[in-house]
Formats: sequence, C-alpha cells, structure tokens
Amino acid sequence: MHPSGKDYLDGGENLPLYYGGDRLVLLPRDPYWLYAYWEISLPTRPFLESAAQKNWESLDLVLRTHRFNPEKNEEESHFDIQIPPSSDNWYIKAGVPNKKYRVELGCLLPEKNFKTVLVSNVVTTPRDSLSDIIDENWRLPDWQARRLYWRIARGNLSSMEMMKRGLQQVK
Amino acid sequence: MVKGYLALIFHSHLPYVRHPEYKQSLEEKWFFEAITECYIPLIRVFQGLDQDNINYSVTFSLSPTLLAMLEDPFLQERYAEYLSRLQQLARKEEERTATDPVFLPLARMYRERLDFTSYLFNEKYGRRLVEAFKELQKGGHVELITSAATHGYLPLLGIQKETIYAQIAAGVEYYQMIFGNVPKGIWLPECGYDPGMEEILSELGLYYFITATHGVLYASPRPKYGVYSPILTPGGLAAFGRDPETSHQVWSSKEGYPGDYNYREFYRDIGYDLNLDYIGEFLHPAGMRSNTGFKYYSITEPTNHKEPYNIEWAAGKAREHAGNFIFNREKQVEYYGEIMDRPPLVVAPYDSELFGHWWFEGPLWIDNLCRLIAENQHIEMITPGKYLELGYPLQLSTPNPSSWGDKGYHEVWLNGKNDWLYRHLHTAAEKMISLATNFPRAGDTLKDALNQAARELLLAQSSDWPFIITSGTMDMYAKARVTSHLVRFLKLERQIWENNIDLSWLRHLEATDNLFPHLDYRLFQSLNETVPVEKDKLTGVI
Repeated sequence: MHPSGKDYLDGGENLPLYYGGDRLVLLPRDPYWLYAYWEISLPTRPFLESAAQKNWESLDLVLRTHRFNPEKNEEESHFDIQIPPSSDNWYIKAGVPNKKYRVELGCLLPEKNFKTVLVSNVVTTPRDSLSDIIDENWRLPDWQARRLYWRIARGNLSSMEMMKRGLQQVK
Repeated sequence: MVKGYLALIFHSHLPYVRHPEYKQSLEEKWFFEAITECYIPLIRVFQGLDQDNINYSVTFSLSPTLLAMLEDPFLQERYAEYLSRLQQLARKEEERTATDPVFLPLARMYRERLDFTSYLFNEKYGRRLVEAFKELQKGGHVELITSAATHGYLPLLGIQKETIYAQIAAGVEYYQMIFGNVPKGIWLPECGYDPGMEEILSELGLYYFITATHGVLYASPRPKYGVYSPILTPGGLAAFGRDPETSHQVWSSKEGYPGDYNYREFYRDIGYDLNLDYIGEFLHPAGMRSNTGFKYYSITEPTNHKEPYNIEWAAGKAREHAGNFIFNREKQVEYYGEIMDRPPLVVAPYDSELFGHWWFEGPLWIDNLCRLIAENQHIEMITPGKYLELGYPLQLSTPNPSSWGDKGYHEVWLNGKNDWLYRHLHTAAEKMISLATNFPRAGDTLKDALNQAARELLLAQSSDWPFIITSGTMDMYAKARVTSHLVRFLKLERQIWENNIDLSWLRHLEATDNLFPHLDYRLFQSLNETVPVEKDKLTGVI
C-alpha cells in the first residue's frame, strides 16, 4: 500500500450518514429558493412522538418557513410544508427576494398546534432587481438612470431575463 | 484627456492536486497544461511589455492553492519531467514534418515555445515560477491579489464565520509569506459574496474585492453609477462590479473572439489524431488518448472539416480583435461618461486558464491590447488598487449576494447533485472550531495533528469539488477527494480528543496533503470567545 495512497490514508473509512446531533441548517440558493437540511437525533425523537401520540414513521412532520421584513425584522408570514419523516433535506420555494427567512421543523398536533423540535439559522434571499432604496445624495436624474441601467442590462445577455426583471422599476 | 479606465483582472486558480502515489496522474496534468499553455505565455507577454517600456496595468489573482502547487518541489520535479517529455515530442514532430511546408512551421513553433518554457522554468527561475510573478509586481504594472485559501465558496460556508476568517486569513498570510507585502485586494472565489464577510476582509487589511455584475448593480442603496464606479461597503472595503459587455465579447460562444475561424482548433490534437505506435509513449501509461497540446488546425468552420492553422492569419486576427475591443471600450466610456461625473471604470475579470489553453491566441490578444491602449488617448488601463488612489468619493452601499456562476447565485454549488456535502462540511467546521478553541496552546504532536486537521478541512472546502460534481465530468474524482479530506479530518479529530494520535499515519498525511506548511490551526478559533492570534501578526506587517 502506497503511504500517500487513499486506501492507507483513509483507512477504508467513509463518511458517516449522521453525526448524532440535532441541527437544522438553512441556506439560500437564489432569490427564490432555500435549502434546508437537518438531523434529529434518536434521543430527541420521543419528544415529538409523545407530543403527537404517534410513532416516528407516522408523524406529520412539517417544515414551517417564516418570512421577515429585512429592515424591521417583523414577521410577515409563514407557511408549512409536509415532510416525510424519512427525509433529511428539502428545497423550499420561498418565493420572495430580499427577505429574511427562518425555518422550524416540528409536527402538527390536533387543533392546529405546532410542536417545534428544531429551529434554523436566519438567511436573507438575494435581490433579483435594483434596490428601491435611493440615497438622495447619489441620485441620477430619471432619464439618465434609464440610459445607464438599460445599457448594462443589454450587455448582460447571459442573464438577460434576470436583468429585465430588475429594470422594470426604472422604466 | 482620459475618458475612461479599463481594469483587466486575471483570476488564476486550480484546486490542490498532487498524487505521489501514482506514476502519472491525469488530474496533475490540469496544472502542467496551465503552466505550459497559460501561466508562462502570460508571464512572457507581460515581461515583453516591461522590456519595451509599455505603460500598462493588469491585476492577477493567484489562488493560494495554485501558489502552493507552484511552490511544491514534488510537483516542480514532475512538471520538469512532463515538460522534458513534451520537448522530446516536439523534436520528434519536427522530424516527422521535416518535408512538409505546411506543418513544419507549426511543429517548429511548438518546439520553440517549449524550449523557451523550459528555459524560463528550469533555468531562469530555478523551477520557482512565483519569482516571475514577484518580478512582474516589482515592475509596477502588475498588481497581485489573493483569494481564499482553498477557494472555498464562502456564501455557503459562512454559516460559521470562522470558516470565512480562516479561509481569508490563511490566503492573505500565504500570499504575504511568498510576496512579502499584504495584498490590496482579494478575488472572492467564484465572486461568491454574502453581506457581512466584508468586515472580516477589512480586518485582514484588504481594500477591495470583485463581484458579479448584479453584486454591485443590485446593491442597496441603488448605486448611482451602476458597475462603472466601485461602491464602498459598510465594512470599509470597495466592491468592484464586473462589466457585462467585456465579458460577453470574450466569452460568448457565438460572437466571442475565441470562436474566430482563423484561431486554433482546440479539439484537433495529435494525441487523438496520430497512430498509437508513434504517439503512445507520450500519452498516459494506461494507453488512454489525451491532449498533448500539439494542435495543427484552425477552427475553419463549424463542421469537422478543418484547414491547417496559419500562424500569421491568427496573429492578424488577434490584433484586429484587440483593436475591436478598444473601439468598443471607447464607445462604451463615451456613453457612460455623459451620465457620470467621473471617467467610467470598466472592470473586466477573466479566468487566466482561458488564455492560451482554450483560446490559444488569448495571450497575444492581451499583448496587442496593452500595446494599443498605451497609445490610446481616451482609455487608460488601471488596477483596482490604483483606481482607489485616484480618490473619487465612493457611494456607501451594500452589495447583493451573488456569484459569477450560472444563474448568478449559489445554485452551481448547491443543487441536487452536491447538496449532501454541506452537512459534512458544516459539521467538520464546527468540530474544527471546537478543537481550535479548546486547544489554544497545543505543542508538539498535538499541534501537528491540529494543523493537519485544519489543512484537511480547508482542502475539503474547495469550491472545485461541488463545481466538478455539478458539471458531471470527473465527478468521481471530486467526490473521492472531498470525501477523503473529510474522512481524514474526522479521523484526526477523533484521535485528538482521544489523545491517541497515530504518529506514523499523521506524518504520511502531512507529507501528502502538504499545502501551507506554516498554517496555524488557531485561525479556526471561535470568533465569539477569543481574539484570533493571526490578527496581531498581520497588523504588525501592515
């Protein structure tokens, strides 16, 4: 076996499927989509099972996505996605650029109660358009702004659609 | 009177690939080809401009993994062997085409280029090409900048700010170790930006970074001059946005310069065209056909019909395209100049590996471009660092999260093919932070093990692995690499906590995954609890 070879250095090991902890991590993919992955450890499962009075396999797991206004940090809305208990990751169509999001993983109880077991970090979706916020000290007259942004959009042919959307505001 | 500025930026990066366990490795060849076909031809162009006292300005980002490979004696030796084999092939090709008036000049061109490459690599720089870059920077026309240590895709690793700190600090430190100065700017891997990271960049003494077009264009508040003036981020650094027109002119598959029919055809290589009895000894020992770099045909037309390459015609086209590029810049800065209160700055970043390898005439195009601009009254070349010294007031604005990858955000590095990676990468980073925070003053073997754990984690974090997995070619290699580094990290972590370090295994690991010999694991210390050690050291040098 070569001392720099994979067989020797990795010792035949592979990556673990899980790490035995509880975590829920949220990542932004683009202005519209989020990605969440999670791990619910075996000792944590009974909390949900006893709250819902169901065994793990038949739990109604739900990923609750909260949307916040990025400036005021106020919650604007939330929505739920039903998740099969066998899943450990999900792409979430959050739908709105430039918003803060946090997700919770839990299960629905009778009378619409929600039992949370994991809470994620907070992420902000990117913008897909020009900012509405204009600094008055750095403002172009409208006709000049149109000329400027129009040409940048024309040049960026590879992402024309993205730019067009961004430009609707200055037209 | 200068009407506008052009900042050409060449981003040079390859993942750390080094396989002493194999006699020859296909993946090491990426690096060897890049030296022969890109880095040395580009160095040659800029040395020529310096020699002729041409006034030009370009920026080069050299990723720390690339620098580490250029500095690695084992890879230097392997490259010298590789180059010597190519030189043998070049002589054989001259003999084979000796009576052929069409192909002999081409065979001779390759022989001369390889002889010069060998002279530059072996004799002039004693196999240390970083010396050539150092010399260029001293010449005053080339600004060298750094990148994240292993080119980690920071927006998706930034769950732990410590990762961003370690990636950037290790990159800045390694640059400093090699070039002696603190870099003014940084190339964020894949232009991957997420708000908040600029505080770390600024803390490490950096002045600027580059973003994709919509990184600056969609910044908030809305940037008055679009991407034609940098903005000042809340962290105090400047962000320069990429100009879309210059990227389109070079990159567009339909209208881009590299597709011109007179230019060299990449896909006709004697490694595929010639009989195995003749060419076999120059290919991979397993007998696989592969590129040799000897290509004798021009693109000609979009069919399989190819005419022999004509050196003069291609050189003429490179001149013409340089002229066309400048003409377009003149029109462009004239247009934006009417809107702006300052000369517009066109930021044109490209991958260095495009020039010479894919676009054979690319270095010649750059040479022509620099010479023509030096005589031009309206356009001046500049580096971002020098632009900031001009002192134009910059608008305060926060860039938009973005990348220069497909679709402009994070999807290339986060999709159904590679998303499984992040669970492991984040957990490993968490474990590394815990190690670094719990063992703040390790010595001897424990310190070595901790440093190696940091190396393995950094190697696992390369943006190249998720990128290659997405692209689908060589994805098995990328999966194996990232898995190996994570497995090695986890094994080290276990051994460290159990106080049971396998010394012989550790030494082999250090000898194999050997980049950044002076790396200090404490770069990963928790930012909540401690002041990173390296910060003082860096401030001292600044």
